[in-house]
Amino acid sequence: MIRQPANMIIGSILLIFIGGMALLALIWTPYDPAAIKLVARLKPPSPDYWLGTDEFGRDVVSRLMAGASQSMIVAVLTVALAITVGTITGLIAGYTRGLVDRILMVFSDALLAFPGTLLALGLMVISGPNKYGIILALGIAYSPSVLRVVRASVLSAREREYVEASRVIGNSEAATMFFHVLPNCIAPIVVLATSMFGWVVLAESGLSFLGLGVPPPAPTWGNMLSAARTYIEKAPWLGLAPGICISMTLLGINLLGDALRDRFDPRMEQR
Amino acid sequence: MHALSKYIAKRLLWTLPTLLIVAVMVFFLVRMIPGDPAQLILGDGASPEEVASLRTDLGLDQPVPVQFVYWLGNVIQGDLGQSISNGAAVLPLMLDRFQVSATIVLVAVGLATLIAIPAGLIAAWRQNDHVDIAVVAVSTLLMSVPSFWLGLVLLLAFGLKLGWLPVVGFVPFTENPWTAITYVILPVVTLMLIEVGVLTRMMRASAIEILRLEYVMHARAKGLSERKVLLRHVLPNAFAPTWTMIGLVLGGLLGGIAVLETVFTLPGLGRLLVDAIFARDYPVVQGCLLFTAVIYVIVNLIVDLCYPLFDPRVTAS
Amino acid sequence: MKYANLLRMTATTALLATAAAETSVAQETSTMRVRINADIRSTDPGVNRDANSDAVVLHMVEGLVGYRDDASVAPLLAKSIDMSADGKTYTFKLRDGLKFSNGEPLTSADVLSSWQRYTDPKTAWRCLKDVTGSGVANVTNVAAPDASTVVFTLEKPTALFLATLARTDCGGTGIYHKSSLDAEGKWVKPIGTGPFMLQEWRSGQYVQLAANPNYISPGGERTGYVGDKTPKIDAVRFMIVPDDAAAKAALYSGDIDVIADVNNADIEELTGNEQIKVDKTAAMGLTALLFQTRDPLLKDVRIRKAVLLSLDLPQIAEALTNGQAPASASVVPGPSPYSGAAQKEVPARNVEEAKKLLADAGYNGQPIKWLTTKHYPSLFDAAVLVQAMAQEAGINIEVETLDWATLLDRYTTGNYSAMSFTYSARLDPSLSYDMVSGNKDKSPNKVWDNPEGLELIAESTTITDQAQRQAIFDKLEGMIREDVPLIPLYSGTRIGAVRSNVEGYKTWPVGYARMWGVSFAPGN
Repeated sequence: MIRQPANMIIGSILLIFIGGMALLALIWTPYDPAAIKLVARLKPPSPDYWLGTDEFGRDVVSRLMAGASQSMIVAVLTVALAITVGTITGLIAGYTRGLVDRILMVFSDALLAFPGTLLALGLMVISGPNKYGIILALGIAYSPSVLRVVRASVLSAREREYVEASRVIGNSEAATMFFHVLPNCIAPIVVLATSMFGWVVLAESGLSFLGLGVPPPAPTWGNMLSAARTYIEKAPWLGLAPGICISMTLLGINLLGDALRDRFDPRMEQR
Repeated sequence: MHALSKYIAKRLLWTLPTLLIVAVMVFFLVRMIPGDPAQLILGDGASPEEVASLRTDLGLDQPVPVQFVYWLGNVIQGDLGQSISNGAAVLPLMLDRFQVSATIVLVAVGLATLIAIPAGLIAAWRQNDHVDIAVVAVSTLLMSVPSFWLGLVLLLAFGLKLGWLPVVGFVPFTENPWTAITYVILPVVTLMLIEVGVLTRMMRASAIEILRLEYVMHARAKGLSERKVLLRHVLPNAFAPTWTMIGLVLGGLLGGIAVLETVFTLPGLGRLLVDAIFARDYPVVQGCLLFTAVIYVIVNLIVDLCYPLFDPRVTAS
Repeated sequence: MKYANLLRMTATTALLATAAAETSVAQETSTMRVRINADIRSTDPGVNRDANSDAVVLHMVEGLVGYRDDASVAPLLAKSIDMSADGKTYTFKLRDGLKFSNGEPLTSADVLSSWQRYTDPKTAWRCLKDVTGSGVANVTNVAAPDASTVVFTLEKPTALFLATLARTDCGGTGIYHKSSLDAEGKWVKPIGTGPFMLQEWRSGQYVQLAANPNYISPGGERTGYVGDKTPKIDAVRFMIVPDDAAAKAALYSGDIDVIADVNNADIEELTGNEQIKVDKTAAMGLTALLFQTRDPLLKDVRIRKAVLLSLDLPQIAEALTNGQAPASASVVPGPSPYSGAAQKEVPARNVEEAKKLLADAGYNGQPIKWLTTKHYPSLFDAAVLVQAMAQEAGINIEVETLDWATLLDRYTTGNYSAMSFTYSARLDPSLSYDMVSGNKDKSPNKVWDNPEGLELIAESTTITDQAQRQAIFDKLEGMIREDVPLIPLYSGTRIGAVRSNVEGYKTWPVGYARMWGVSFAPGN
């Protein structure tokens, strides 16, 4: 029982650090992350530029900070979208069962079987080249996982006595669903949301690497990492910094996710 | 057995609407993306008339729904068409590329499973002591590294600095198994390291759960050695959820590991898909996505069918 | 279907490959590996092609004429070329003793049958429109008075006929043996006279060519696609390596011997490595910033001029090419003999003047959407630099990054305000000006729509006198600069990199790898 608070603490510290960086970037960065200075291209870390400069002479620290807010916005909105869509459809599927359920499941299977790459490119182009395309694509791609988790919880919850009771009292189906079934799903959703957050950060960097991610010049960690590849011999610091940031975020989110699961998982509660 | 085949038939029947939705989505989505294969083939010097005439030759001047019906009809007859870029038939092309991706994915996930099971089990058994913390820390860290980054670092270290392994290229196993291995070691190791993290955590979590159950205490109370308790009681029960996880991982990865295939220059399915998207090679994109969906469905079916083998509780019910 | 043969071929080559696997170890020392960044599209010269296809196919087939290193045209299969006084009749005498790679002799009949297939619309030859009807030249008749003579008759004289036949994207109008086609007339594989012949094409992995045992050298200096092209290695393997970073790593590790085109950014690093030899030369492409002159905002020439004045062109060229290519503000590439004083002049930066023009035009910070792509790193970098520099003059540019196919679509349909773009090499100034000029209603991909200019360009193609042509080009240069429909940045540099044991490799303005006359240094 010593470890659980430990992973909670370490995870929170990491995420607060990253989140703080992202928030700070909204109001202040050491340099303008987009300001080009051709005389200072690919400079190694120095007191002026703590983490050096990139191929346009832009300050890496400033771009990392701006990238943190971009990456966080993408991750938070994607998770929010996936959770919203997945929870609503999951509630409907689990609660109504029957044909509606079947249809929703067929759609969710189709989405699960559909590689995110094309979905990302397709939606990106339809929504214009900006980060909302990738949010839409990944949000939709991840929603079936939420749907499944919610549906499973609903199926088990709807047989419980208090749900039956609520219905017998004469509460509307919607009210029953909202007040009695939904709370039962919150724990698994929270656990899923944390791991999904990690997936999004990774997926965004992978898509950027393939040239399908948030279009540059907006700084995201994925963009920075993939741009750094060209200079991996000449300027290794360029890739190291965003790589470490991605890993730190994921580490934080995984640790926090573990802690939350240990706390929320109903099966663990019994003990 | 009769019930089983009936179950399989029913499952397969239910996948048909899923595949149809995938087909519709793929077909219309790729055509909504701006860009035109005819323009890409002809390049910057082409006149509008030339582009139009090539579009006609490629059958792209038809209304999209007509093209869809035509394509679907061919697919049902097992004909996925030809690549717009180089005229190769899509199905053999895909199967060829799939072999490459599948070999790497299966070997990597297989190895990852072999490592994850003991690691997860031991970590669960020694929960909260330093062994457990080490296992959790390492596996969490492995999960947190972007695959292309890890791949690139390994490539630089073993391919370039040490010069032990080739940097680009691929040799099929049928041609020269020994050389073939040298080409796939790095991608396999990269993928394995990443999946080890995921699977170890899964294995540990489910083993912890099982260890808390009463029958484990019973077994211990009966005086069974810890080794026997772990191997006979905890392992089989804890493996079931991990197996589901392996299924999910395989289903996702077999569709191609585009990122790793790019880093290691492997002629795999993922690379084929990404290249086809960039070239607006509609038949190849459609074929790849449909194929990926079929693989996903089949892997899930196999996982579900194998599930009773690992989870005694399911057999009982 | 057209593709059936290809399939059959792939199947047979696959079988051959398994058989050849055992011998491959023995050959390894004399197989040179060359990087290409994507699979080739076909082996049919000038048909369903792209740059990689051209580079590979031109190792196997040769046409009547070919380029020299300086992109001028010289006889290749022809021994001599006579132009009649009226400029309408070209008489080609074929070299003696020419043989195809299958040992069959090449005669004028082969030239005729190849030409017939090229000019059959069903073949979809890339250059069909350039030699028939409205194009550069209209060939009205082709005849073979004897086995070693071919006579082409044109409707009217043109300065560009031979240059068109030599074009790489036309497949060099290569002459192939009839067994290149199957009984139904479908393309199988090239049986040509080039120094190499097709051995195996493995989709997505490599194209392997073997030395042509029946190659007949005309002798003379090895230059461009002409001269002595005797192969000095047993085989060339064009390896498909899509990723630049992976290709560079493979060159270091010795998994690849030749990269014909490395990034400007890598030159210092490669030059500093003793295992690598670097060879560079000025190239003939064009990287430019294009404006849509029908855009509501940019139709005002003052705004276009203001963008031009806000830019420090030498600094942009320096940054984009890592100091490897000078700024060139003309569509005529620097190495061209027609790049005179008018073409070589680079406008100086003048932010104050730019601000004044903007004020006159009533511009107050309306955003200009600037399209670019990551596919060509220099195009993306150009957009980022332009954005930063234009901002100093108060111009508000928003960069939008698209994938290459989407950008090309927007270019072709003219659906953009401004974009960074790159043109492939045009080897004659008439073609360079033609590349950007045209009637926008008919050809929306053209950026400069000026009837007087179009007439001048048409005139330049019919004149063969160099001084007269130069006068026309100077006039055109002045007109186009007055209108600023585009801002040319540089014509670029081709940098080839080879392993240090590779001897005889030369980079040239056209840029494609040429593997004849190249060998491994002894002792390796």
